[in-house]
Amino acid sequence: MSKSLVPQLPTGPKEPDAKGSWRAPTDWTTHAMQKRIRRRYGAERRFRFFGLAAVSLSAAFLAFLLITMVANGWRGFTRTDVALPIDFPASGMLIERAQLRTPAADLALAGAGLENAVKGAAATAFGPGGEEFISENAWLRIRDAIKADPSILDRKMRIDVPASTEIDQAVRGDGNAEAKATVAKLQQAGALSRHFNLDFLYESDSTDPVAVGIWGALKGSLLTMAVTFLIAFPVGVLSAIYLEEYAPKNRWTDLIEVSINNLAAVPSIIFGLLGLAVFLGSWNLFGYQFGPLLPRSAALVGGLTLALMIMPVIVIASRNAVKAVPPSIRDAALGIGASPIQVVFHHVLPLAMPGILTGTIIGMARALGETAPLLLIGMRAFIVTPPGGFTDPATVLPVQIFLWSDEVSRGFVEKTSAAIIVLLVFLLAMNGLAIYLRNKFETRW
Amino acid sequence: MNGFALLFLIAGLGLIGWLTARARANRFDRGGAKRLHSLPGQHGMYVAMWTILPALLFVVVWSAAQPGLVKEAVLEHPAAAQLPQFEFERDALLAEAKRVASEDNATAFDPVAEQLAAPTRSAQAYYGWMGTGVAILLAFAGAAFALTRVGAHFKARSQVERGMMVLLLVASLIAILTTLGIFLSLLWESLRFFQQVPITDFLLGTHWSPQVIDANDPGKSLGAVPLFWGTFFIGAVIAMIVAIPFGLMSAIYLTQYAAPTVRKWMKPTLEMLAGVPTVVYGYFAALTVAPAVRDLAVSFGYTYASSESALAAGLVMGVMIIPFVSSMADDSIAAVPTAMRDGSLAMGATTSETISRVLIPAALPGVVAGILLAVSRAIGETMIVVMAASGAANITLNPFESATTVTKQIVDLLTGESEFDSPKTLAAFALGLTLFVITLLLNIVALRVVKRYREAYE
Repeated sequence: MSKSLVPQLPTGPKEPDAKGSWRAPTDWTTHAMQKRIRRRYGAERRFRFFGLAAVSLSAAFLAFLLITMVANGWRGFTRTDVALPIDFPASGMLIERAQLRTPAADLALAGAGLENAVKGAAATAFGPGGEEFISENAWLRIRDAIKADPSILDRKMRIDVPASTEIDQAVRGDGNAEAKATVAKLQQAGALSRHFNLDFLYESDSTDPVAVGIWGALKGSLLTMAVTFLIAFPVGVLSAIYLEEYAPKNRWTDLIEVSINNLAAVPSIIFGLLGLAVFLGSWNLFGYQFGPLLPRSAALVGGLTLALMIMPVIVIASRNAVKAVPPSIRDAALGIGASPIQVVFHHVLPLAMPGILTGTIIGMARALGETAPLLLIGMRAFIVTPPGGFTDPATVLPVQIFLWSDEVSRGFVEKTSAAIIVLLVFLLAMNGLAIYLRNKFETRW
Repeated sequence: MNGFALLFLIAGLGLIGWLTARARANRFDRGGAKRLHSLPGQHGMYVAMWTILPALLFVVVWSAAQPGLVKEAVLEHPAAAQLPQFEFERDALLAEAKRVASEDNATAFDPVAEQLAAPTRSAQAYYGWMGTGVAILLAFAGAAFALTRVGAHFKARSQVERGMMVLLLVASLIAILTTLGIFLSLLWESLRFFQQVPITDFLLGTHWSPQVIDANDPGKSLGAVPLFWGTFFIGAVIAMIVAIPFGLMSAIYLTQYAAPTVRKWMKPTLEMLAGVPTVVYGYFAALTVAPAVRDLAVSFGYTYASSESALAAGLVMGVMIIPFVSSMADDSIAAVPTAMRDGSLAMGATTSETISRVLIPAALPGVVAGILLAVSRAIGETMIVVMAASGAANITLNPFESATTVTKQIVDLLTGESEFDSPKTLAAFALGLTLFVITLLLNIVALRVVKRYREAYE
C-alpha cells in the first residue's frame, strides 16, 4: 500500500471527552496498523487466488479428461493392415462362380473353406504361425473382395487384410517383444500399412477388438432416442401447458407439481428398476397372469424408461418457456374472441417453442448419455447385428462403452475411448444446437 | 397385422373422417344464421377424435392382453401337456415356440417347442386378426356416431376443446402415475423381499455377501449396513470434500471477482463437467485415476493397496458434482440483496471479508440446500462406482481400501443370471426403495430450505 493513499489523520483527540467513550481516530500510519492492513490485503489476495485456482483446476480437469480420451481414442480410429499374398488357384477351393452373383454368395464362400484358405495363405507367406498375424475376421475382407470382383479367383494377388490385435498393438509400441520382432520383420518386407479405420463407424460389436465397430450401438441409440422423444416430448409439453395455463390451484395440481419436481431428482437407476418391474416383470391382475408387457433388451423398453426419466426435465423447461410469454399476448387473443384452447395452441405455444425445444434437446442429450437404467433392463447383450426395429434386441452407445471397458484385451482400451469420442461428439452437437436455438430465437419481452 | 400398419390405418381413417366432416360442414344449411358456431375444421377434428381415440384405446388394451390370450390358447393344445410343470422352464419353451412361430425358417432345439410353434402361430394370427377387426370396427363406429351428430347447430368446438382438456389432464397425470409406479413397484418387490428376509436383518446387519446366500437364513448374508456406509463414505464424504470447496470457490470467484468475459466463458465450461456422461467418468476413473490412487497408496506404504479404492471413485464423483454445488451457490449468492454487499464494502471490509462474513452467511441456507441436492445426486450416481469401485462390502474409514455402494450392488444383483423371485434379485428392489426414500427426503428438505430462504429476502 503506497503511503499517499492513506490520508494523514489527526494524531490524537483535541479535546478529551468527559465520559472517556470518545475514541481517538485510528492512526493508520503506525507500524501495527500498516501490518494489519497488509495482512488483510494478503488474505484478500489469497482468497482470490483460491477462487481462481478452483475454477482453473475444474477446467483443467475437464481438459485433462477430454485430452486423455482423444489421445487414447484417436488410435481407435486407425487400423494396421497386412498385405497378404494369396494364390486362389492353388488354394484348392471349389467355388461355383454363378453363385457369387446370388445372395447365397456368403454361404457358398464360407462353405468352400475360404477361412482356412486365408489362414493357409498367411502361413505360407509368413511362415508357420503366420495365421496369427492376421485378424480372425481377415477372411471376411477377402470374401468381400471376391464378391466385388470374382475374376481374382483365377490369379495370385496381394490383398490388404486387418492385422491381428497383437500385431496392431505392437505397431503402436505396446506389444510384447516377440510381436515387436514380428512387426520389424513385416515392416522390412513392406507388408504393413496404417489406415484410417472408417469401418469402425460401420461395424458392430465383435469379440475381436480390431473388428469392432460402433454402428450397432449407434443405431440402437437412435431407435431408443426416437421412442424417448415420441413419448416424452408430447406428454411433457402437454402436461406443462396444462399446469401452467389451465390447472386450477388445488390439492391435486399441487400433487402433480410435487411429483414432477421430485421425479427430476430421482436417481436414474431407480427408473431402471421401474422399467424392470413394470415393463419386463410379470403382472398378476385379478388372478390372471400377464407375461412381460414388452420384449427384453429392446429399444422400445429402453426408450420408454428414458422417456419417464427425462419427462420432468421437459415439463420444467416447457413451463418456464410458457411462463415467459407475456400475458398481453393471451389478453389480446382472448380479446378478439379466441377460446382458451386457441389462445394457447395458436399463440402461446408457437412463441414458447424455442424454449421448449432447447429444454427438450438438453433432456435428450441426458438420455443419450444415460447408462445405468438401461443396464438393468437388459440392454447389455452382445449385439452383432444392428437392431432392425424397435423390438429387436439392441444396445446403446454408453452401454457399449461400458461393455468394452470391461474387456480384458488391450485392444479394447482405444476402441472404448474412440466410442467415447463418438458419444461426446453427439452430445456436443446436441448441446450446440440447443445453445444456437436459444440464441437465435430467444425473445426478451 | 403389423402393429405399425394398424396404427397407420387408424390414423388414415381419422384423416378421412376429418376431411369428410370438414367438407360436409362447408355445405351445411345455415338456416338463415350468418355464422356457424364452429369452424368446419373443428367439425373435422370432432369426427377424427371419435374415429381415432376409441380404436387407439382398444389397440393399447389389446396389445397388453394378447400375449396372455395366445399363451392360454397354446396351453390348451394337446402337445402342451408335455410341457414341464416348472414355470420358468415352461415359459422358456413357450418363448422358443413363439420365436419359431414368428421367424421364417427358424428351428427350435426342443421338440415340444417345435410342435407348439404351429398352434402358437395360428393363435397369434387368430387373436391378431380379431384385434385388428375390432379396432377397425370401433374406428368406423366412432366415425359414424360423430358424423350423425355434426350439423349446422352442433357445437363441435366445445366438444373438441373438452377433449383437448382431457388430453392435457391425462398428460399431466402421467407424472403422478410414474411417481406412484416407482413407489408401488419398489414397495411391492421389497415387501416380497421382507417376507423372506426380516427387515431388521437387512437394515441392521453388517455382513453383505449375496454370492453365497444361506437358504435357511438368507438375512445373515444380506445385511446392508456396509453398503450404506460405503455409499455415505464415497458419496457424502469423499466426493463432498472435493466438490464443496471447488464448487463454492468457483461460484464465489465467478460471481464476485471474474471479469464478465471470463464469467461468460468459464460458467458454461464448468457446466460441461455436468454434461459429460457418467459412463465416461467411470471409464476415466477406472483407467486413469484408480491406478494413480493405488500408486499413491503404495508410496504411503500400503502393500496391498486396492486398485478399486473408495478414494478413486469418490474423487471423480466429486469432480462430477462440482457444477451442481457451484450453480446452486451461484444462485443463492446472487439472491443476496446488493445493499448488504455494498454496505459491507462501504464500511471498509475487503471483498473477501464481505464474502465470508456477509454474503456466505446470508446465502448459507441456499448453499446448504445445494449441497444436500449434490449429496442426493452423488449417492444415486451409478456408473462411476460400478466401473471404479469394488464389490467388496467393507466398513472402513481408510479411503485407500475398497468400499461398495447401494447403486453398485443393485447393478451387480440384477445383471447376473438369476430368477426373478430369489432373495438376491428382490434385495436389489429393497436397496432401490431405500435409495429412493433417502434421495426423496434429501430433495424435499433441500427444496423446503430454498423456498423459506427465498421468502426471507423477497
